[in-house]
Amino acid sequence: MIVFVTPALLMYAAFTAYPVIRTFWNSVHIIRPGGRTEFVGLDHYVELFANDDIFFRAVTNTLTWAGVAPLIDVGVGLLLALCLYARVPFARIFRVAWFTPVLISYVVVAILWMWIYNYDWGVANMLLRSVGLEDWQQTWIGHPDTALWSLIFAHAWKWAGFNMVVCLAAIHALPREVLEAAELDNCGWFHKLVFIIVPMIRPTLVNLLILAFIGKMRVFDLVWIMTGGGPMWSTETVSTYVYKRAFEWNTFDLGYPSTVAAIWFIVVLCCVLGLTWLFRQRDRLEY
Amino acid sequence: MRDTLSTRFLGRTVLLAILALYTCYSAGPFLWIASMSLRTTSEISANAYALPETLHWEKYIEAWTGSNYGTYFWNSTIVVVSAVLALTIIGAMAAHCLARYRFPGNRVVLFVIFSTLIFPPQITIISLFQSLVEYRLYDTLLGLTLVYIAIQLPLTVYILEGFFARIPQDLYDAAKVDGYSHWEIFWKITMPVGMPAIATTVILNFINLWNEFLYAVVLITDESNRTLPLGVQKFMGDQLEDIGMISTGLMIAIVPVIVVYAFFSEKLIQGMTAGAVK
Repeated sequence: MIVFVTPALLMYAAFTAYPVIRTFWNSVHIIRPGGRTEFVGLDHYVELFANDDIFFRAVTNTLTWAGVAPLIDVGVGLLLALCLYARVPFARIFRVAWFTPVLISYVVVAILWMWIYNYDWGVANMLLRSVGLEDWQQTWIGHPDTALWSLIFAHAWKWAGFNMVVCLAAIHALPREVLEAAELDNCGWFHKLVFIIVPMIRPTLVNLLILAFIGKMRVFDLVWIMTGGGPMWSTETVSTYVYKRAFEWNTFDLGYPSTVAAIWFIVVLCCVLGLTWLFRQRDRLEY
Repeated sequence: MRDTLSTRFLGRTVLLAILALYTCYSAGPFLWIASMSLRTTSEISANAYALPETLHWEKYIEAWTGSNYGTYFWNSTIVVVSAVLALTIIGAMAAHCLARYRFPGNRVVLFVIFSTLIFPPQITIISLFQSLVEYRLYDTLLGLTLVYIAIQLPLTVYILEGFFARIPQDLYDAAKVDGYSHWEIFWKITMPVGMPAIATTVILNFINLWNEFLYAVVLITDESNRTLPLGVQKFMGDQLEDIGMISTGLMIAIVPVIVVYAFFSEKLIQGMTAGAVK
């Protein structure tokens, strides 16, 4: 009967466990094309921490993204879910319209938002012109100050619907009596939200936050197509940096990018453990 | 009384207006590309936001025949369908075993598989590239399929294990009394009873892999092996400033997902949200 789990374990060993170990092995070697390797000990790690400004730029960008975006995603998602829960008309249409972006591939999302941010005929500048704020026009993804935030905004566009659907499912799973009791007690909707709904769906919200956090720590596709990490490394993320060092730049070494990956792996692991600990349920609500 | 009624009404109206605005923001971009996909680039340069005057459906034929969309579609279909099939069987077998048999290390295996969900892809991607090159699987659809199975396996096992563990034990006891073998128990009880969860993972895996970009961009180089996301990116590069044609290309890429959504929206939403609700 152990036979049942064998194929999965073999796949896991060959395509997940072994590559992880090999990446750590890579990180202490220089690996030239053709498989010629040379042991360099911790040189890559020293180089990374001592001299690699681009890496720290990438880390700052990624952490900014991972720090801000989960709050936006989950916050907007929760608000939208509450609106639908309040039984507005056309709820079905709203839900479909809001959820669709989740299903679209990043490549399409990226091209779409490149057009939205286009200086001459993009929607963003067109809207600003139409309300008389010509001065605020930007080359949104072409300027180092606005590029990262423009990408974060586009990314949030894709994910808000997902969080909405999950929050809605969690709210619908709450016991009716509690919410009805609150209504009998003349509890306003704001108090109902803060004191009843949020605490009761807290495990779901925490899951969503951590899920969003993990997603942002690995963000690649959108950045790669929209800006390629530019301008001036202002949107470089750790993922795009690893990809560039490994497959784009002619450094002919897979060891150094493996070092970046290994360090980032440890950072992500620590952050997720930290978050889980921070949000751990001190007293479980029973209902 | 009238006061509260009218404030309620006002509140509802404001709420609806906000929701309508959000809907424009969320769905507007689609309508925009949909309308541009039916207009020529010269029409778009004249006014990027007008509705199509004449519907240029021939652009779809042109986009399909003037590029390798046929190849991209076929590659994506082969890779995604075979990966999803393999995932369903391998994943369901593993989940069945972990949910139904007690053996030392059972929970450890589940925990290890579960914790893989948080791994950033970089930790495996460089060494996967090396290994696939060594085994001559680099730039092949088979290699990409194997990697796709591996990246979606943890989530599949996690979702299925949760569901299989809740199937009543009585069913299994009865099957044992009837003399079912382990294999029969899996095929005749777990699989049919677990069908809702299996359908969920099938749809989830389908969408995720159909849209997958990072592994494809690292592991595939040849034009004839490109999957759809790579193809769309290539198409955009080829058409340069031909906005009208690119929109048509984008619409072609979106349509299959929208069709799946139209038919399985409930299942799909369940699939996308499975695992996050507790």
